[in-house]
Amino acid sequence: MYGGGNIFDEIKPDDVAGEDSIKLAEFEARIDRGEKIEPTDWMPKLYRKQLIRMIEQHAHSEIIGALPEGTWITRAPGFKRKMALMAKVQDEVGHGQLLYSAAETLGKSREQMIDDLINGKSKYSNVFNYPTFTWADCCFISWLVDAGAIVNQLANAKGSYGPYCRALERICAEESFHLKYGHHCVIYLASGTQKQRDMFQEAIYRWWPPMMHFFGPSDKISVHTEILMKWKVKMDTNDNMRNQFLDMYVPKIWELGFTIPDPKLKKNTATGRWEYTEPDWDEFKRVINGGGPCNKERLEVRRIAEERGRWVREALRAPKTEYITPLA
Amino acid sequence: MKSLDPRVNRLPLTGNTSPKVLLDQFGTFEVFVQAKAGKPFQHEGVVHAPNLEMSYLLAKETFTRRFTCVSIYVVDTRNVHVSVLTEDEDNAYNHVTEVASSGNKVSFEIFHLFKRGKQHQHAGTVEASNPNEALWLASKQLKTEKQVFNIWAIHTDDIRFTHQDDLDLWHTLPDKKFRDAAAYKGGDKLKSFLEELKK
Repeated sequence: MYGGGNIFDEIKPDDVAGEDSIKLAEFEARIDRGEKIEPTDWMPKLYRKQLIRMIEQHAHSEIIGALPEGTWITRAPGFKRKMALMAKVQDEVGHGQLLYSAAETLGKSREQMIDDLINGKSKYSNVFNYPTFTWADCCFISWLVDAGAIVNQLANAKGSYGPYCRALERICAEESFHLKYGHHCVIYLASGTQKQRDMFQEAIYRWWPPMMHFFGPSDKISVHTEILMKWKVKMDTNDNMRNQFLDMYVPKIWELGFTIPDPKLKKNTATGRWEYTEPDWDEFKRVINGGGPCNKERLEVRRIAEERGRWVREALRAPKTEYITPLA
Repeated sequence: MKSLDPRVNRLPLTGNTSPKVLLDQFGTFEVFVQAKAGKPFQHEGVVHAPNLEMSYLLAKETFTRRFTCVSIYVVDTRNVHVSVLTEDEDNAYNHVTEVASSGNKVSFEIFHLFKRGKQHQHAGTVEASNPNEALWLASKQLKTEKQVFNIWAIHTDDIRFTHQDDLDLWHTLPDKKFRDAAAYKGGDKLKSFLEELKK
């Protein structure tokens, strides 16, 4: 998990105006040929800036995403589920490590990224600003939020920046476990008692709106990202990603006999696209700007963890080592 | 703090909202993994750690948590000597120039990048008196027909290798089936449930 619905800065026409036109042409030609860009290659400032932003958001989403699921480890039903959830949460934090390293190769230190997260300057996936009331909410995340993230990550793994692609390849390999595990949990709830079925149905009611938000604002209103798509930073539009997710998972949810809280949701057989009620983008903006039910708690938990762990890092600090930018 | 999570409710409020103190960062270490016997070591990524020994443990946890491997090794990033990165038909070895020997010879591990976007792979060992000479000797001894885009040279003594008595680190992996997708086969249960549903 959990890359998705990245928020890019608005791009101004003069953002690339100052770049060396010959170098820029070579850079773009290389991307067109399908070659990867490596950390020591020349790259436009805008490319570096937006990549750092995107990979950093992705890394923070892994770290923050571990919280709503992590909270259920001690209360997961049974020993096996506890072990599995613990392994999954460990994976998510591990993915955060891989992604921070990839972003570091672009010149932003890991500590600066963590500072920006704690101080509220950097964003993370909006979906984690919602609470997991029940075990079923946790299962919704494990199955469907992960599924959404996989759609996004498989696309991004074909992007142009070498270190990010390599990190994503590792991440996607581990996601297959997450997805199978999540589906397994949901099958057990679906085929269980009426109470278990109701629990998951209620989770769908709660999580459907954030799930639709997950892929980011509609293409009609989102920041123009043509140049980022040309540079293979962003690999597909938000609406295309959302459509792909709906195509793969709505039939699976319906198959289990659950209801999705959107009367307009159906696939248009002529266009092959899904039709749905337009998500509430004002709500999306409100939550991303700090107004969601859990924004404060998520950052507070991170900040307390940082403060309480500081003495350990102080104790381990060794003058002989030095933080430097990773190689690849 | 009022949370749904009892553990969060138990967290002590530190009351500190000032930005955290800067620079308690650890060093950077590069990690190499040998997935199967006979395969070359491959660069996998980095970890941050207070020392080489800790970086080895963190590397084990970060990169070989699930798939078993023959061995791993780690090296301080500062000890990796890096050649130019080339493109198209330009071989990185074209930029390596002859360097005279300057004293005692030690061994260097040489790594090649065969494709941009992929990982560096171990190519072999040379005996040289400094990293630049190591690159020059590698161009004589290890260069093949294959296009190389980037070369790394690492003094062998700077590497923390896997020792025989480290191998039990991975012994518990086969027991951790709960980490594998294969442990979550829900197909039969789903099928019988769907048949129930149809009735």
